[in-house]
Amino acid sequence: MTFNEQELVKGCKQRNRIAQKQLYDVFGGKLFAICLRYTKNRADAEDVLQDAFIKIYENIDSFRADSPLEYWLRSVVVNTALNHLRQQKYLKELDDIDVHHNGLSDREFTLGNFQLQQLMEMIRELPPGCQTIFNLYAIEGYQHNEIAQMLGISEGTSKSQYSRARTLLQQKLNKEKRFDDGSVQHKQF
Amino acid sequence: MMDPSNINNFEDQWKKAFQEASETPPPSVWEGIEARLNGEQEKVIPLWWQSPKIWYAAASIAALLLVGAGFWLSGNNGGGKPQVAVSTESILKSEGKRSNAQESLPLAAESPTTEKLATTGESNVVRESKTASSKSKAPAVAESKVEIAATDHVNAADVKHENAFAETKNTAQDQSLDNTQPVEIAAAKVAGNGDAAAPTVENQAISAQLLASLPYSDLDVYVQKRHVFFRPEIRIEEPVKEKKPKEYYAGLGVMPASFNPDVQLKEAPMAFSTQSVSQRRATTGSSEARASYAVQTQGGVRLSKHWSVETGISYLRGNSAYEGGGYVLNAYSNLSSNVLENALAGLNSSANSPAADKAAGFNNGALYIDVAKKVSNNYQYLQLPVQAGFTLNPDKKFSYSVLGGMMANFFLVNELESASGDIIRTTANDDIYRSMNWAATTGLRLNYKLSSNWGANLTGSYQRAVSSGFRSNQSLDSHPYLYGVSWSVRYSF
Repeated sequence: MTFNEQELVKGCKQRNRIAQKQLYDVFGGKLFAICLRYTKNRADAEDVLQDAFIKIYENIDSFRADSPLEYWLRSVVVNTALNHLRQQKYLKELDDIDVHHNGLSDREFTLGNFQLQQLMEMIRELPPGCQTIFNLYAIEGYQHNEIAQMLGISEGTSKSQYSRARTLLQQKLNKEKRFDDGSVQHKQF
Repeated sequence: MMDPSNINNFEDQWKKAFQEASETPPPSVWEGIEARLNGEQEKVIPLWWQSPKIWYAAASIAALLLVGAGFWLSGNNGGGKPQVAVSTESILKSEGKRSNAQESLPLAAESPTTEKLATTGESNVVRESKTASSKSKAPAVAESKVEIAATDHVNAADVKHENAFAETKNTAQDQSLDNTQPVEIAAAKVAGNGDAAAPTVENQAISAQLLASLPYSDLDVYVQKRHVFFRPEIRIEEPVKEKKPKEYYAGLGVMPASFNPDVQLKEAPMAFSTQSVSQRRATTGSSEARASYAVQTQGGVRLSKHWSVETGISYLRGNSAYEGGGYVLNAYSNLSSNVLENALAGLNSSANSPAADKAAGFNNGALYIDVAKKVSNNYQYLQLPVQAGFTLNPDKKFSYSVLGGMMANFFLVNELESASGDIIRTTANDDIYRSMNWAATTGLRLNYKLSSNWGANLTGSYQRAVSSGFRSNQSLDSHPYLYGVSWSVRYSF
């Protein structure tokens, strides 16, 4: 790491603008990627990022050095994104869905042939509830009971929404894979 | 492209894919953040300022001030006596001409808070302090302060009763008063023909109506609430405190040293000058260091991570030799004296001086023997150093300290070998040497930590006297200096 995390935090606590900018420069990219995952369009993602950084700078005093800074920043961004989604009322109508597992085994699964951009688009194309719960469960690593608490839904809803998200993504992956394989073949020969 | 390296689980693959995902946000985002931060900075308001409680408190204080000012001003008007000023609006109207004031009927005007009575017409004002007029038939009963104010210039007299009922049936205004209340009565006698006009009286005193409604008590006291945001840092400091170096230490050591008293003759002593040998080696003798040692005790305190102050008591045995060629010999008495002892003797006129016999008897018939001879010249001092130390690597196994300070050298004994081989012993009581002289000291110390409490030190030090060791410096001067290497052990607690 080319920067001193402690110094950076200290500077931000002192409301030092240079430190604030440096924090933004260091973590802005990663946090923006999170915002993109939780939102439907870039404008919303930018709004969330902006709000999140304001929150970060305002609440940097509550950051405790016993956990990595990046975890804390990510959690602030995720919470801001969830607030944003609540305001957009995306999370209002989350209901149990009957989903049948498509039967694909985990072991056969690979994302190796996909660009990050493609995967990002797939997530963003999910229905809002599915998108959020997929992000929280699969990528952020929250448990269903935690997600239920965060979103004010039942654990069952969280599970069924996630299952649906997973099925939808699987379908998208299968669909994309066919095209990808073809294109790869063309490039190779 | 994603690296699927051994991760087959659906969630793990997605997690892995987005773990390091990054996309540069457009510059407009930071511009927006900065604009918001700037906006917030401009309207930075302390937290306490946002609290409504502070406004309640401010309002309370303002109310108190207002009430206080009201009392103060009204107190001034009333010559210090409590009173209630008359309200502004006089509602009285004259009902017509009256030929006699005594027949005129005062009109009472009622308002929710005040009752006023006024008479119109030209009036003579008579102030009476106590009594009620015999004509008074209807006393005014007042539960609170009552004042009837009248002025010479005003054609009306207003009477105000607060929470009181006042009734006048008489033509003249006479009041009987409640004994318990301080009261001023101003009765206005109306004389002559009254004016038909019903003037509206503008009272110049302060309005009391406002004051009456203000709270006099039950003001709540609000305490400012502080928000402390730095609790985590307190936790961080705790382990630092545990690691904090030991505050005090004591040490014991021994220092082999090279001590040189650097005795100089400023002028030839009498016996030598009479021998006209002042130009010879005898008067240009020099001191030479010999093996010396000091036994040292130290006590110190660490002021901060790097800085420490220490003191102690040392016993210094400083051995040296003086080489001054030649000595004088009395041809008749066989007394001899080398240049140093002769000079030493010359410093003290006391006959009891240990070198007194070396001073006399060389004026006549003495011979100068020009032989280079070394005589021993040994000193004993008690030393009291005060030194500051700056330590590098203070908490490591090896650390280094740079020392510097002053040292008080208390003279104990000087033993000078005479030309004949006798020892001339001079003590502090002989008033030859200063009982105390100052030396500057500096050194470099290597500390080795043996355990958490014990340590070993190796200190190289240099001391040099800044004042002469001799009480009188007429012919002798001495600025002892010393190089030494001290070995010591230290216990920290």
